[in-house]
Amino acid sequence: MATRRFKWRKWNNIIHRDLGYLCVGLTVVYAVSGVAVNHIRDWNPNFKITSIASNIGPVTAIDLSSPGAIDDMLARVGETGSLRSMFRPDPDSLQLFMDDGTVVYVELSSGAVLRESVKSRVLLREANFLHLNHARRLWTFAADVYAVALVILAVTGLFVLKGRKGITGRGAWLTGAGILVPVIFLWLYL
Amino acid sequence: MKICITIGWWPVKLIACLKRTDWSAKIPLRRHSCKTNGIEMTTRLMTPTSLATVVLLAACGMAETGSTVYGDELTLSDTTLVSAILANPADYIGERVLVTGTVVEVCEMRGCWLELGSDKEFEKIRVKVEDGVIVFPMSARGQRAVVEGIVEEVALSLEEAIEQAKHHAEEYGLEFDPASITGPTTYYQLRGIGAVIDN
Repeated sequence: MATRRFKWRKWNNIIHRDLGYLCVGLTVVYAVSGVAVNHIRDWNPNFKITSIASNIGPVTAIDLSSPGAIDDMLARVGETGSLRSMFRPDPDSLQLFMDDGTVVYVELSSGAVLRESVKSRVLLREANFLHLNHARRLWTFAADVYAVALVILAVTGLFVLKGRKGITGRGAWLTGAGILVPVIFLWLYL
Repeated sequence: MKICITIGWWPVKLIACLKRTDWSAKIPLRRHSCKTNGIEMTTRLMTPTSLATVVLLAACGMAETGSTVYGDELTLSDTTLVSAILANPADYIGERVLVTGTVVEVCEMRGCWLELGSDKEFEKIRVKVEDGVIVFPMSARGQRAVVEGIVEEVALSLEEAIEQAKHHAEEYGLEFDPASITGPTTYYQLRGIGAVIDN
């Protein structure tokens, strides 16, 4: 009686293909976010912060205590939103927090004003939120599953092709080169 | 003839909700229309999915208009004045306290600290949290916050003080002169455990 041979390469390729499809979305999320947070020292990957400097002239303590002084100050810097709260970090400084998240910094003695508005980077902030596992809870489990899936993808990827272009031929050289990349950097930096 | 239509746009509302945009439009309903003797009568009933959506939207609505919890749930009920901590920090070192105030600054890069305005003018206290464990959003600036944490003393050598001031200047895009730091410094902060910040 003829025995049916288990076609492992066929199943290897099926797993590689379907897992690949499943992982596309998250791989893009992790890759884009990876580049974004890699350069965290050079730019803010979550928020776009716009600062506009101006000068409204010196503001004395008397000016500040007069009714409508804050509204007048806001009007002079072109701020039309409503005031959420304010803070005096020191006798010469005033911070005005607007409802839309804008912060107006005022140096009272010189009248120098810095109007800082903050906008969330759409999609990128969400990608970073997932990548850096700020969600925690169930997402930790989902991210672990994804990590395992990536390992399976990598291993099954080695055996997709057979012959000269497979792992016994060109694949071996390229896999070796890929492993050498982190090894070289570790050797350089450690 | 009786026509039943389920309005299937609740996923759109769900996305809108998750994006915290306007969700106050219509609630998905099942419409029952019947025509008897040429007169069309229409009634609208809430479907199970609609009901679930309403509950979800209501929850999101509360989250948007209420407050957000960061980190662990608060366990203390009695608040300590920030001014009291700053006046006699040695009395509070290692103590778990609950403080309240306006968020006046947030770490721009990682959201790993915030500064809380004191009940007294010209005073604030820093709340430092473990990187990535709690992430404060920049939108918290100007909002009322209740924070629970442990008071700690941070003593920096001259080198550490220079390094921290340099990091601070980088964060704010300011120029830094190492000569401006003349000696070791000590400051007091809260190691944040949990916080509730108004939305």
